[in-house]
Amino acid sequence: MAAIVEVQDLIKNYYMGDVTVNVLKGLDLSFEEGDFVSLMGPSGSGKSTLMNILGCLDRPTEGNYYLRDRDVAKMSDNQLSEVRSTYLGFIFQAYNLLPQYTVVENIELPLVYQGVPLDHRTKDRCVALAEMVGLGDRLDHRPLQLSGGQQQRVAIARALVNDPQVILADEPTGNLDSRTSVEIMQMLTELNKAGKTIIMVTHENDIAEWSRRVVRLRDGVVESDLRNEHPLGFR
Amino acid sequence: MDIRDIPPVPPLAAATGFEGLSKIRRSFVLAVRSLWLHKLRAFLSVLGIIIGTSAVIALMAFGKGSMQDALEDIKRQGATNIVVRSVKPPDEGATASRSFVASYGLKTLDLTRMGTFGDAISKMVPMRIFPAEVRYLDRMSNGRLVATTEDYAAVNKLTPMSGRFLNDEDNFRKLNHCVLGAGLADKLFPFEDPMGKSVVIRSQEYRVVGVLADRMPTGGTGGSQAAEDYNNDVYISFETAKVRIGSTVVIRTSGSRGGEKVEVSQVTLTVDADFETTEGREKVRAVGNAIKGMLKEDHLREDWAVSVPLDRLEEAERAQARFTSLLVLIASISLFVGGIGIMNIMLATVTERTREIGIRRALGAKQRDIIIQFLVEAVVQTTVGGLVGLTFGVILVFGLPPVSRWLFDTNLPAQLSWQPMALSVGVSIVVGVVFGLYPAWRAAKLDPIDALRHD
Repeated sequence: MAAIVEVQDLIKNYYMGDVTVNVLKGLDLSFEEGDFVSLMGPSGSGKSTLMNILGCLDRPTEGNYYLRDRDVAKMSDNQLSEVRSTYLGFIFQAYNLLPQYTVVENIELPLVYQGVPLDHRTKDRCVALAEMVGLGDRLDHRPLQLSGGQQQRVAIARALVNDPQVILADEPTGNLDSRTSVEIMQMLTELNKAGKTIIMVTHENDIAEWSRRVVRLRDGVVESDLRNEHPLGFR
Repeated sequence: MDIRDIPPVPPLAAATGFEGLSKIRRSFVLAVRSLWLHKLRAFLSVLGIIIGTSAVIALMAFGKGSMQDALEDIKRQGATNIVVRSVKPPDEGATASRSFVASYGLKTLDLTRMGTFGDAISKMVPMRIFPAEVRYLDRMSNGRLVATTEDYAAVNKLTPMSGRFLNDEDNFRKLNHCVLGAGLADKLFPFEDPMGKSVVIRSQEYRVVGVLADRMPTGGTGGSQAAEDYNNDVYISFETAKVRIGSTVVIRTSGSRGGEKVEVSQVTLTVDADFETTEGREKVRAVGNAIKGMLKEDHLREDWAVSVPLDRLEEAERAQARFTSLLVLIASISLFVGGIGIMNIMLATVTERTREIGIRRALGAKQRDIIIQFLVEAVVQTTVGGLVGLTFGVILVFGLPPVSRWLFDTNLPAQLSWQPMALSVGVSIVVGVVFGLYPAWRAAKLDPIDALRHD
């Protein structure tokens, strides 16, 4: 399998006045296409910083980041925005839907910024995605009319709408009860089985068990990198 | 349903050159929706713009209306006229006892001299004015007896309602014909037709040969010309007055008697020129100066006055220009204040919607997209504010005059014109851009990560 995400010697420093905080200390990681990876680690380990860089929301201080042969580390803010809208899908802990928009409008948002014409084809795709995540009867609902699990499913549909190369999930079950968490993880597993690459941050071991590979960070370096031979969803 | 069965992402639209347009349209819809969520706040934030715009439009209309009124008034007096009047010299009044009869003013000889100006003067109307009681049977009314010639009607834009104005024959043959102003005719002949009747003026009888149509009095809008109310005048021929009244008028004042000898009270000259052009105005001024020079040489005392209504016209035009620039200043201040209101609210909105900005950025919005979004929102607000202000201003223009007539019994002339409307709405839009730019820029410069974490 080809590496779809590859970081080499990734360094990220934060400057707070005179103090330099060295968050990532030269990470080398590569994720293959179709993989399902959990990033774990205690707070301050640098997993959120890594996630931001992988999500093209932040740039590394030093090092390279290749997103399927594209050298993302040196891109301008505009180019990063384009990468986000075209090649990445985001799932957040707090769902991050826009409250004034309906389900369908929330789902189509990445396409709006990608510049796709908002015609019936776009609408068909958004509706189909909403139906796929089980919200076919709530197309015109607003996020506040939905439960947490339903909102996260809208977010998953939104993350899929641009047919991304990588889905980045930042503690996708952090705000959900265990039963809903299982539903969401099942859904992610299904997507992974269909070929989607998923990189997920979590600090819960039983959530990490759903993934095929678990990378643990500590103090800005990789502590362990293990293959999970029997992910929960594949048993 | 499986992910593989989902219809694919539609291809990017082929470049048509109108992507920007559809993007703006989308932002417009987005802005309207965001504003609709906070209707009251949006309304309050543009209140400054609304008030500013409506005030400008209403003030402009009222200002222009009253200016127009004044200008019309001057034009009614004749913008190419020059009025030469006899004035009692100041020292004459103080030492009235020196001679029983005060003799001053323009002479018939002056008229002859003015006649030598030739083509430049198309009409010359001398007049003498006496206070007079006019009586018919047992009815009496105070008015002004004006002795003049045929051209008076044309120069002062008087038209007969019935009969005719005085003519050359009346003058030449010194006939005892008179013409009544509309108001005077009404008072003396409430139930009859005045034509052909005899009225008594200063103990002499005159036959009514004409009655004038009602004429708007000219206002005394400052300057040297007094207001003239033509409706209470009675007109007789210049030559008739010479023989019937003579050149001496006795005016009784309390305690003393004084006589005044004035050959000609006033001469109105019409200069053959077009006052809309600079050359025409120059010509009027030149003739005025020539007459002043001539009178200065021939009269020992300053017992005359030359007034050129054109000067007042120009003064009024200057006043209008001053008024307009003052209004523009007020307008810019109020719109500036309105703009600050918009900026204030937009900054608050940006802070409040930081998370939304973060979400949009994460999903691929460029800084430019965020700028456009907030800028369009500000511009939509100020544009709607400007249009509401425009409507409100127009309502004021049509609604205030009846109210003021009813409450204060004053006329409020108003004249709407498109320039201030277009200008104030245009400026509102510009204000939206100018004062929306900084908040929009702030929004776009937010760090997406911080923005996403914000709550």
